Amino acid sequence: MNVDTSLAIEARQPAPARALLFLLWRSFANRLRSQVARVRSPRYIVAVILGALYLWWALFRNTRAGSAPLDSILRSDITAVLASTALLLSSARWWIFGADRSALAFTPSEVQFLFPAPISRRGLVHTKLLRMQLAIFVNTIIFSVIFRGNATQLATWERALGFWMLFSTLAMHRVGASIVRTSALEHGQAGRRRMLVPFAVFATLIGAVLYGLVVAIPALHVASAGGIKPLALAFTRALQAPVPDAALAPVQLLLDPIMRAGSAPWLISMLWAGLVVVGHYVWLVRLDSAFEEAAIEATQHRAERIQRFRASQMGQARSKKGKLVSVPTLALSGRPEVAIAWKNVVAALRGGSWKTQLVSFVVGLGVLAIASRQASDRAGDAFMGVALGWGAMLLFIGPLWMRFDLRLDLPRLAVLKTYPLEGWRIVLAEIAAVTVLHSITIWSLLTVPVVMFAQDPQLFLESGATVPILVSIVVGVPAFNALMFTIQNGTALLFPAWVRLGTESRGFETMGQNLLTTGATTLVAAVALVFPVGAGALVLWLANDWGGWAVLAATALASAIIVAELWPVMRWLGSVFEHIDVNEVATTS
Amino acid sequence: MIDVSEYTKLYGDTVAVQSLSFHVAPGDVLGLVGPNGAGKTTTLRALAGILQPTSGRIEVAGIDLQKSPVAAKARLAFIPDEPQLFDYLTVTEHLQFVARLYGVHDAAPRIPTLLEELELTAKKDALPPELSRGMKQKLAIACGLLHRPAALLLDEPLTGLDPVGIRRMKETIAARAREGTAVILSSHLLHLVEELCTRLLVIRRGRMVAFGTIEDIVATRPELAGRSLEELFIALTGDEPATDITAS
Repeated sequence: MNVDTSLAIEARQPAPARALLFLLWRSFANRLRSQVARVRSPRYIVAVILGALYLWWALFRNTRAGSAPLDSILRSDITAVLASTALLLSSARWWIFGADRSALAFTPSEVQFLFPAPISRRGLVHTKLLRMQLAIFVNTIIFSVIFRGNATQLATWERALGFWMLFSTLAMHRVGASIVRTSALEHGQAGRRRMLVPFAVFATLIGAVLYGLVVAIPALHVASAGGIKPLALAFTRALQAPVPDAALAPVQLLLDPIMRAGSAPWLISMLWAGLVVVGHYVWLVRLDSAFEEAAIEATQHRAERIQRFRASQMGQARSKKGKLVSVPTLALSGRPEVAIAWKNVVAALRGGSWKTQLVSFVVGLGVLAIASRQASDRAGDAFMGVALGWGAMLLFIGPLWMRFDLRLDLPRLAVLKTYPLEGWRIVLAEIAAVTVLHSITIWSLLTVPVVMFAQDPQLFLESGATVPILVSIVVGVPAFNALMFTIQNGTALLFPAWVRLGTESRGFETMGQNLLTTGATTLVAAVALVFPVGAGALVLWLANDWGGWAVLAATALASAIIVAELWPVMRWLGSVFEHIDVNEVATTS
Repeated sequence: MIDVSEYTKLYGDTVAVQSLSFHVAPGDVLGLVGPNGAGKTTTLRALAGILQPTSGRIEVAGIDLQKSPVAAKARLAFIPDEPQLFDYLTVTEHLQFVARLYGVHDAAPRIPTLLEELELTAKKDALPPELSRGMKQKLAIACGLLHRPAALLLDEPLTGLDPVGIRRMKETIAARAREGTAVILSSHLLHLVEELCTRLLVIRRGRMVAFGTIEDIVATRPELAGRSLEELFIALTGDEPATDITAS
């Protein structure tokens, strides 16, 4: 190569940053354009109008968190300490179990175009961070609108900045944890050495929090006799001791700009929070350089293999020894729709580690039930209340998380449509499997009353829980789940161009969108529940029995009405399935 | 076995396929050829019951696909160009799934035979992400053949296969045709079309420009006599106004 040629090549050196920005911007703009183009379809027009009305009601009309009671909750010590502990423990799962696979995953097109391009791995990580910003911005707006108001003397933009810093840091932490873990997995001894420092730092923080709780066990034991509020106060005091307080300080620094009253303290808190943000960024960049060094000899093929490993949805299908997760055997003859339901159960067992999570959940519940009852009667009652609340929350949020249904299968719509089955049977099978799985998950919460009953039957029955109520829960949960999953699947079928398909969960940065989706689903469910709940209440009123077997009769009647409501809906969704255009789904998958 | 009458598919104002009519008899292998965007995949998807025709009628084994889609689909198999497999099911489990779906009564003895025929026995416990592109293609084809379809629709069936795999696949397709299956095969590999297909359907811009055996087609365009299939294809699908050449 002569000098002129090399100079010419040098003059044409690429500008990766601008190219990446162009890619992000055009992808966003084109996606938005194609989604807006859908609005020409009548059903999308109706959805836009209803969605706009809902957003107005949910964000601007219905909520005003600046009011005094909510504000005092926001600014209380209990909230600050418990929120920071929850965030710290929540990020601990990224280190212990690994960040979710989307944290570092690139799309096949990005692998094809970006990996062979002259872009450093640091540039790729920046691409990932920039792309996360879109979801972070949306989330920030949602939370800023929800928490708007001037009771805390903070302007909306001030609190918004606080939310942005919090969500950005959490997103960076997730990516950092993912890089460290991947590096350890991919680079053996060297990777593990690199993981040592960040893991040690994080383990120290968690250890300090746990130490604070262990030291305070006697005080917690005493407080548990007084019920939930004294117990929460005792937890707060325990976590405010010097050692756990120091461990929680970085998280509290991040929460401060959201909770501070007044602009002057807010400014100072912003400076401290800014340090945490910058610290995370620097850590990420340095960490990435280390990763790049380790991966310097990696070929394109290897990069693609790593990418496939990260992006794969079957990461948990095999044990570390390569053994395949066992699944129920499918009989080769019988009703064909059972095959579709079975396939989804297999996906949950192999892709979502559902059974492992369920067993851990049940064991954990059992241990906590025994421990709380042994601590004191009040603590036992309190834990029972927590379990009930947990179950109620799972009923509403679970259908968003558990996606082993049409949301998993719609990207393969062309294949589904070749099956020799009526559309409604396919839709029914898709919803049935996930309904059963989620019902079992919620039933597992009954471990708490069962354990407590085994410990002391008399005390258990005195608490107000009765066998008819527990049996009613068993009966009512599947019908309610079927309703919630039908709403989720119906939305995916009616608006495939707008609904996120696949099973990957997303990080903190989409919490706001999830909150709004749950709200919308709950509203639709509320409308569907008017008749079932009304009929059930009528039975209870007529029987004038609110804890006996009339509860079971009322639940059974309500469940039957829900099923009766769902039947025509299922037939209609089957017709939608048969007529849906595969190209409409293909553009989103 | 496959009867298509005046099949038309519109997307808004865009005509994807217009007034396509043809018949594929049992044992026939019809080669569906045409340039990119000619409407081949749209046609195959309509025949598989994936797309609803805007107008026209499609019958499989005498069953109207629009009126009785379930009965018609039970006699069909469609193998797309990109294998669409389930990440969590092993190779054997895919076949068990299909057996239950299509009510294959002799699935138990048939599954190992098919695995052997398509050289998948060694991979029977593998998950799709652990398979090569060619292996995935073989699995998709095994799933399609399990219920002994009366009509087999193949979209670019040789994509991703190695030379030995290509040879095996050609034998498999030919064997099904000998057993009486009506096969429609869409491919850009003209040597494959020439070797396997008993008749050709050439489409361009959604319209049929030729239909019949190569001899039939040449008979209507004598100037193409002695030319290779590639030259024939270019002449039929080139930019000059096409003359409809349809036989039998």
